[in-house]
Amino acid sequence: MTGSLISREVLPFVLALAVLAAAALLLDLVLHLADAVWIGRYLGIPGTVLILLSLRYSLRKRKIITAGNPVQLLRAHEWMAWAGSLLVLVHAGIHFNAILGWLAVWAMLITVGSGLTGKYLLARSRRRIEASRLQLRDEGLSAGLVEERLYWDSLTFDVITQWRVVHFPITLAFAVLSTAHILSVLLFWGWR
Amino acid sequence: MKRSWIMLIVAANLAVIVALAFVYPHLMVSPGPLVPAHAQLATDCFACHTPLHGAAAERCVTCHALADIGLRSTTGVALVRTGTAARTPFHQHLLAQNCLTCHSDHQGSRIGQGTRMTFSHALLQPAMQASCATCHTAPANNFHRGLTTGCAQCHTTERWKPATFDHARLFLLDREHNAPCATCHVNNDTSRYTCYGCHEHQPDRIASRHQREGIRDFQNCVSCHRSAHGEREGGGERNRRDGRSNRERD
Repeated sequence: MTGSLISREVLPFVLALAVLAAAALLLDLVLHLADAVWIGRYLGIPGTVLILLSLRYSLRKRKIITAGNPVQLLRAHEWMAWAGSLLVLVHAGIHFNAILGWLAVWAMLITVGSGLTGKYLLARSRRRIEASRLQLRDEGLSAGLVEERLYWDSLTFDVITQWRVVHFPITLAFAVLSTAHILSVLLFWGWR
Repeated sequence: MKRSWIMLIVAANLAVIVALAFVYPHLMVSPGPLVPAHAQLATDCFACHTPLHGAAAERCVTCHALADIGLRSTTGVALVRTGTAARTPFHQHLLAQNCLTCHSDHQGSRIGQGTRMTFSHALLQPAMQASCATCHTAPANNFHRGLTTGCAQCHTTERWKPATFDHARLFLLDREHNAPCATCHVNNDTSRYTCYGCHEHQPDRIASRHQREGIRDFQNCVSCHRSAHGEREGGGERNRRDGRSNRERD
């Protein structure tokens, strides 16, 4: 049971973060070997665009927009946010000079970590509901009773709700710090 | 209630961080500390940066007058140029007057690394490029002393060494003349040469053969013989007739 918990819950989570870190290091290495570190400066722009596009799911979830399949938007949210974070990580490189940019990167990493946590909490909840549904059916309960029992199985969704209480402020912190960083760049950079 | 408290705490922290960016911009948003000479401008970003336009050369020259660069400090004190590190003022002769092409005041920043240029002779005006001696002093060794050919004959503007000295322009070192330098240049003094360093060229035999031909000025061999078998390109006759004795030239 412990083994399956690690392989099913912990490993994918750790792997997703490890792959992100490894991909960032690999891209950074390639840029260094090609003597093209300066390209990293511009990767912040597509990275930010991808992260912003990924927020379409958040808007759909809160019914601010009505277009789009929520499941597909959630998948897009996951990979766009991951790819955007990768580009921003390469953009930041290992050259932290300003504290604001440094804080924005850490806020982004915490947001990614939180997002991955939500992803696996959601997957676990789904599995738990499905297992409960099968068990209740095996016990001979009618479909109506099964749904009623599941409705009261608040544990499954409570966890997700609790996680959202944390995920939103973390995302807000990332949004504010990265916006401050972008504004400072716009203010001081010579776009020529 | 719990959620609103979390949001309030996060918002308060963010507000403090943003406020710190205004109070300590040199720590919060600067891509690196300024060069020591500009340290007093550390918290005054807009001394060099124009909002939304970045730093511009026009701001630099308000303190660093172009005519004074390399000659006088921004306070008008004449710069003393001594030692090997002394540099000749050249900014006045650049093709484009854009300080930021080469200079970045933020140390440790790799932001502009890809586009930042270091000094290149190609940045100089053509007349200045051709006038090496304006900035460089010719080496005071025997080899270079008295040379009238341009530096570019042997050296490139990329680097002083390796130099491409074409000995065949003076004398072709063919199979018979594949000898150590000191055979012709005694003590490796390349400002002089002698053809009598080997057994083949005996002074008596050389003298008698030239005198038989009526040639009295035969001391500077390469004035006629640019190779073991060839003659000086287009000028052999003239030098045979003049009366100079210059077997060993300075």
